[in-house]
Amino acid sequence: MNLEVAKKLLQTGIENAKEMGKVCSIALVDENGWLVALHRMDGAPIPTAEIARDKAWTAAVFRRPSSEVSAYGDPRVPGFGLNVQNWNDRLTTIPGGLPIWENNHLIGAIGVCGQTPREDVLIAKNILKDIFAEEKDLESERRKPRKKYGRR
Amino acid sequence: MNQLTLEQVLKMIEAAERWARDIAGSPCSIAVVDKAGAVIAVHRMDGAGMATTDIAIEKAWTAVAFKMPTLMGSRWLDPRNIGKLLGDHAMGMIGRGKGRLCFIPGGIPVTNEENEVIGAIGCSGVPSGVGDISDTSVSQAGVTALYE
Repeated sequence: MNLEVAKKLLQTGIENAKEMGKVCSIALVDENGWLVALHRMDGAPIPTAEIARDKAWTAAVFRRPSSEVSAYGDPRVPGFGLNVQNWNDRLTTIPGGLPIWENNHLIGAIGVCGQTPREDVLIAKNILKDIFAEEKDLESERRKPRKKYGRR
Repeated sequence: MNQLTLEQVLKMIEAAERWARDIAGSPCSIAVVDKAGAVIAVHRMDGAGMATTDIAIEKAWTAVAFKMPTLMGSRWLDPRNIGKLLGDHAMGMIGRGKGRLCFIPGGIPVTNEENEVIGAIGCSGVPSGVGDISDTSVSQAGVTALYE
């Protein structure tokens, strides 16, 4: 993650949000969770900036979407209680943070905050889709279930 | 002009970045806050330290909270100035503001035509003490760009 990429992602995201008629904050962090760039759109509530950063941090350090971290809150899943451990001010399980992968390397994460979690995730996914279109295709190919050895 | 918009802020930050890269020659973080001290935009240039974003935000917050450059406050807090200033020193300010006060030079308030503070810009990461090159000068380049 460098500032050049981050600016491109932010610009795409803000155009995207404007198209949807929404206001939001977007944060980009590097692979270790440290802030690279953060924009708060005109009219977006003040705390959204910090929450967007929290989401991006969570996605970067756990290397998974921030919404999936909440799976640790399920008593049936090993690691139960991580979400209420309160070991870090930044940890959040609100959807809206997504890790950014490039050639199987984590290069950073994006956090979007401002609307309902569903719309936050939509904006974040649209940004990554626009910029990393080809990688996304590879990802979906890899996750396709193999039919050859499937159950009869 | 009553408040800063994101476009204006990005113009300021771009100019400050250009100044830091081309003239100061050191990567840094630049943050702009509105008149309530809330962050509008933060950029960390490639190669700048990871703590600089937070320090830049704190400098901008302090500048808008006191409506003056953090350079002024740093004079009060300099132990070498005890007994020399017209007023008293301000050591009690250390640790105030819920830990957000930061009197390292580099934060400058942004004013409109009526001389009202509408926000502040903060910069961190430039080694100071070499001529005119410092965090403050990078911030000044940003403020100047607002009125170009």
